[in-house]
Amino acid sequence: MDMIDPTVVELSRFQFALTALYHFMFVPLTLGLTFMLAAMETVYVVTGRKIYKDMAMFWGKLFGINFALGVATGITMEFEFGTNWSMYSRYFGDMFGTPLAIEGLMAFFMESTFVGMMFFGWDRLSKPAHLAITYLVALGSNLSALWILIANASMNVPEGTHFDPETMRLQFDSFVKVVFNPDAQAKFVHTSVAGYVCASLFVMGISSFYLLRKQHRQFAARSFRMAALFGIISTVAVITLGDVLGRMDYEKQPTKIAAIEGLWETSQPPYAPWLLFALPDNEKQTNYLEIGVPYVLTPLITHEFDKPITGMHELQNEAEPHIRSGIEALSALKRYGQTHDQTDLDAFRQHKEDLGFGFLATQFAPGQDVTNISPDEVNKVVEATKPAILPNVFVVFWSFRLMVFLGLSFFLLFAVSAYLSLKKQLERNRWILHLCMWSIPLPVLATEFGWITAEAGRQPWTVFNRLPTFLSSSTHSVTYMAISLAGFALLYSIFIAAELYLMFKFARLGPDEHDTHGTSALSHNAAAPAAH
Amino acid sequence: MQFLRLAGLAAVLVVALLFAVFVGDQGPWYFAWVIGTVMIILISGAGAILFDAQETASDDQEV
Repeated sequence: MDMIDPTVVELSRFQFALTALYHFMFVPLTLGLTFMLAAMETVYVVTGRKIYKDMAMFWGKLFGINFALGVATGITMEFEFGTNWSMYSRYFGDMFGTPLAIEGLMAFFMESTFVGMMFFGWDRLSKPAHLAITYLVALGSNLSALWILIANASMNVPEGTHFDPETMRLQFDSFVKVVFNPDAQAKFVHTSVAGYVCASLFVMGISSFYLLRKQHRQFAARSFRMAALFGIISTVAVITLGDVLGRMDYEKQPTKIAAIEGLWETSQPPYAPWLLFALPDNEKQTNYLEIGVPYVLTPLITHEFDKPITGMHELQNEAEPHIRSGIEALSALKRYGQTHDQTDLDAFRQHKEDLGFGFLATQFAPGQDVTNISPDEVNKVVEATKPAILPNVFVVFWSFRLMVFLGLSFFLLFAVSAYLSLKKQLERNRWILHLCMWSIPLPVLATEFGWITAEAGRQPWTVFNRLPTFLSSSTHSVTYMAISLAGFALLYSIFIAAELYLMFKFARLGPDEHDTHGTSALSHNAAAPAAH
Repeated sequence: MQFLRLAGLAAVLVVALLFAVFVGDQGPWYFAWVIGTVMIILISGAGAILFDAQETASDDQEV
């Protein structure tokens, strides 16, 4: 086997992180705005008031800009698995490819088909038929996210799969287990409702801009009201599901939860503090400048007062027998590949659960081969592999805290905004309008921090405890990776610039400019039922 | 015609109940998402209708 260049692996990781984070700047708005359009159009169909149709059309236009660029940035990622992560695709393709194929064939086609009817069907479809189309677009975009997150969850908590020594791949056992993986469920709801939060603040922010300039007041006030109520409930759901995911990580991905909490030593319940601030150091395996709130960590993570949370030092020691067993598994597998002898197969089966740890250890073995080394070298490889089971603690610790801080601040923002909107006191509290307007990018930022927490926290694995990232990438040259990385960065930056330009342009033009269906009800007292 | 409509609605009800039982059992969070999203849309829509009612009931031009 060719030696794997760690620089190529790191560049592949960086490229995927870059494209995924760029792509996810567009996704949450699509997830949330579609259902908000459905809510606006529902009110239009129920009340017959044209202003709600104008709202659905105007916010629908902004959704369209975002949708087009979101699709453009998303498609490249699917190809990236084949080009940059070919080892991963071969090893885990059965598991990962199935949900992605369903996503393309079912959800994305559904969304793409109906989105055209939604934009161009206003004058061609009856009101209930168009409303049904809008709901199908919303459902399609969220089902799209569902299948992607099912695929992602199978990497974080692999269920419904087994390793086949004949094909040397992880193979499908149970479709039901993959679809109903608890991690997939919680992650989907957490991500989807985080999109609702993004869309809510997007609508509130632009509405605030109009209210501050005393433009389109009736339009903006109604949009703000609907978005504030949409957002407050969504934020509660995001926080609830975040808690569920934390508890799930405690049970299924202990290294991730220990890194999130900067927990080097096993916690002492119930006193264990929740760290508000710390500077974790992976090299020295310690934290600097810790500031924590005592008695919070244990109930927060375990929902009990007497359960300890295993620290990273203990997790490293617990990994030692798995690493040794994994080396045995890999050696037996190699022998079986050469001999096809039942004894070797039995030896492999005895250690098969730890095969992933054997793969992980290869990067520290002479010649990247653990199957033919002396007992002394095995000891050295095991000692070198132990700290490698931990993710980058500083990154995970801080991305999680930034996400949580932003999430909690959104709750306050939505609560105050909803209250002032319900009291009809928005215009006399201009500070909240300014705050909403400047907060538009923050939920997108929070979702990005959420993804960094989830994915950096999964390291050093692409498939948790089964396949290390080190063995997942393709064997490109460093030059190839550097050039393609620069190309992606440039192209995606152009996409972001185009999105921002179009969004600013159409948001500044406002709903009046958008109305091509006769006299707008927006600049008049729109509470009067329109004849449309 | 009315019978057909009734039968159609009954069929929708049966499918909804089967969906609720199966998904509620196998995928409680998926079920929560369906119910929660419907609730969010309804509350958001109710807020808009309340706004119209407030506008009609009051001469106050403030929003």
